[in-house]
Amino acid sequence: MENVAEIRKLTTLSIVWLTITFSAVWVACWGLGIGLPMLLENVFHYDNPVLVETLRFFVPALSILVFIPINAMFMVLLERRALAIFTVRKGPNRVGPDGYLQTMADAVKLLLKEDITPIGADAVMFTLAPIVFFAPSIIGAVPLLAAVTSNHPFYQSLNLPTGIFYVLAASAIPVVALVMAGWASNNKYSLVGGLRSAAQAISYEIPLVMAILSVCVMAGTLDMVKIAEQQAGGFLHWNFFGGGALIGLDRMIAASMGAGMGAETGPDISHHFYPYDGISGVAAIILVICLVISFCMYLTGACAEINRIPFDLPEAESELVSGYNTEYSGMKFAIFFLAEFTNLFVVSSITTVMFLGGGDNPIPPYILDKIPGISSAISALRESPICSQWHFINPEMLFATLWVIFKVYAIVFFAILVRGTLPRFRIDQLIAFGWKRLIPLSLIVFLVLVFARGFVVCHG
Amino acid sequence: MALELSRIEDLKTDEMIINMGPQHPATHGVLRLILTLDGEVVKHVEPVLGHLHRAQEWQGQNRTWFQYQALIDRVDYLSGMFTSWAMARACEQLDGTVVPKRAEYLRVMLSEMNRITSHLLWLGTYLIDLGAMFGFPFYPFREREKLFDLFEEVAGQRMMFNYIRIGGVLRDPKPEWFAQLKKFTDEFPDRIDEYEAIVTQNPIFLDRTKGVGILNKQLAMDYGVTGPCIRSSGVELDLRKTKPYSVYPELDFKTIVTDHDGDTWDRYMARILEMRESNKIIQQCMAQIPDGDIIVKKQTAGLRVKAGEGFAAVESPRGIIGCYVTSTGGEKPFRFRWRNPSFCNLSILPELLVGSPISDIMAIFGSIDIILPDVDR
Repeated sequence: MENVAEIRKLTTLSIVWLTITFSAVWVACWGLGIGLPMLLENVFHYDNPVLVETLRFFVPALSILVFIPINAMFMVLLERRALAIFTVRKGPNRVGPDGYLQTMADAVKLLLKEDITPIGADAVMFTLAPIVFFAPSIIGAVPLLAAVTSNHPFYQSLNLPTGIFYVLAASAIPVVALVMAGWASNNKYSLVGGLRSAAQAISYEIPLVMAILSVCVMAGTLDMVKIAEQQAGGFLHWNFFGGGALIGLDRMIAASMGAGMGAETGPDISHHFYPYDGISGVAAIILVICLVISFCMYLTGACAEINRIPFDLPEAESELVSGYNTEYSGMKFAIFFLAEFTNLFVVSSITTVMFLGGGDNPIPPYILDKIPGISSAISALRESPICSQWHFINPEMLFATLWVIFKVYAIVFFAILVRGTLPRFRIDQLIAFGWKRLIPLSLIVFLVLVFARGFVVCHG
Repeated sequence: MALELSRIEDLKTDEMIINMGPQHPATHGVLRLILTLDGEVVKHVEPVLGHLHRAQEWQGQNRTWFQYQALIDRVDYLSGMFTSWAMARACEQLDGTVVPKRAEYLRVMLSEMNRITSHLLWLGTYLIDLGAMFGFPFYPFREREKLFDLFEEVAGQRMMFNYIRIGGVLRDPKPEWFAQLKKFTDEFPDRIDEYEAIVTQNPIFLDRTKGVGILNKQLAMDYGVTGPCIRSSGVELDLRKTKPYSVYPELDFKTIVTDHDGDTWDRYMARILEMRESNKIIQQCMAQIPDGDIIVKKQTAGLRVKAGEGFAAVESPRGIIGCYVTSTGGEKPFRFRWRNPSFCNLSILPELLVGSPISDIMAIFGSIDIILPDVDR
């Protein structure tokens, strides 16, 4: 407990940075999508629905453009400070107040650095690699944006019926960029790093997709917004806890607390959700276990996918200097760096939406209603001019966003914690672990899940 | 099937030659390894030495005894106490000096402290070699800093101590210093337990170290490997026991021989256990240390050693340091010759590396625990 002061500082830093980041993004989006049309209509009496629609069309692009760089800056700082705490150090605390601006300084430094293309490198491929690496993490995140914002009107147009499939497809592209970077650098370390990343991605994509597929089977849809909406209503509804197998349990608890829907009683609910009694109960438990395994498998596969310790073999520093980005400097390196942290954020968001209920409050509503003051506070907020006149926020969206932020950064923090703890795998062990353990396990889990699902009434 | 297999043989690709170092981030200084790789498998290794050659032996002939005494700490900067000690013992042999008991106890105490700091640094950097870039590696540094504070108080320096002098030791520590050291030694075993809890049975760590870089008894003896490396291969070679010097015979400690396979995990374990033993030695020294003089030879710029030839060896954290000295009785030494453990231990590297993947290079190289200034002198 020698680090309490540092932990407190990190907490303050996170809150300040997150507030600034999300306020900036939301102010920009609100200004473009609502504020500007409102201003035009009320002050200049210029009311053109085409213009409003056009402005709204650009809101998602704007939010991504504002959010990704600021967020990456915050995550780098968070990672460095958190790792410092895990390692009984202080971390960067000199630039700006208590080191808040450290990553800004780093970014400026990287932008001003000379951009070197090594002799013998394939210049076109060398330049293209960071772009191909970074672009999918933005494009792929687009349907996610609709899901994490609880289908806000701004982002509804981004949602796809095949959302998660599209996201996974996009997240498979960066591997090509790593091979490109490794090959084009004209450096043997880079080459080995690029080849390793290809081997790793092929091995770990399968368990990752199988884990997501089991969630989709439980949910009965690929639409991320629908998957997020299904899980609303407390933590027992989340896919992490059985993919909807525990909804009946949740209802029964609600009924026993006198907050059930209508005149339902415990046995009725039990009969509806668990039609085969004992067998259904066993099936529900099996589903919970399967989904927890899927969750762990997804996190493992995702760590491998985004090259974080213990799967950071493509850039294994003690072996390959810096792997595929050995020869990169300046802006190109900055893009690699940015994309890595964006990928981490995207992966955490996918986990949040697919397993942890998106913007859902973990406390079930029937308990929340019993806490005095909450509903009155929400209605007071709704009455206030911020909501009613300017449409700046609405309470449901606000709380959903707060929960999303909390969950996403909790997973990011977990990834940092893992990075601060584990050593690195060796490449042959990594591949063996992927093919001999994870893939068979994922197939077994999927098979068991498909059978167990028949005995319980779930989301889908 | 047979046809396909022969096809795979035909697919054999070119070997790739990689220069690992001297600027590689993980070669612990400036070692250069010329690796011939087939895919990720090492086919041939050639260590290239000399990037850090500082002519330490030659400098001995061009410095006075007093100056060289201060210089020799730099040879192995992680365990400077031991090179000083080897030199002091060789020179005392010529002089026929009998070092006071209290000085001998202080030498043992501070050397064992230095052994702990050296092993702690090894532990941290070894985990960095294995890819635990952040987190754990810094914890050993926490304890190391505490010991350095103690060194600073008694020797005036944190790493280049120049504490063991010809004829005794430099300074007598204050009673408060002993109290601080006692506090450290009391809590240190718990700290090692902490390290062991996170590392020793960590599945990834076991995967990376078990059965990797196996050094068998015969090979180790053939190459003149010393220190924890040979002891972890099952050879009981510890000068403190096999050829006791100073006050080691009066102390009760074990020679750590981990007799399993001689793999990197054994070398790790040997060092962990050695730290525990060193801690015990320090505790015993504190209990047994007598009062009395600490130095019998006047430390001035005109320090001289009687004519003749002398040799002394001490057991350093890396192995046996031997110091051979020839004196003509003049103000400068006639010749110094050092036997450095890192050099001999490094010579085993090509034998261990051939046939292992790139990732294991650092796992094996780190486990040998060499230090480049000690290799090149």
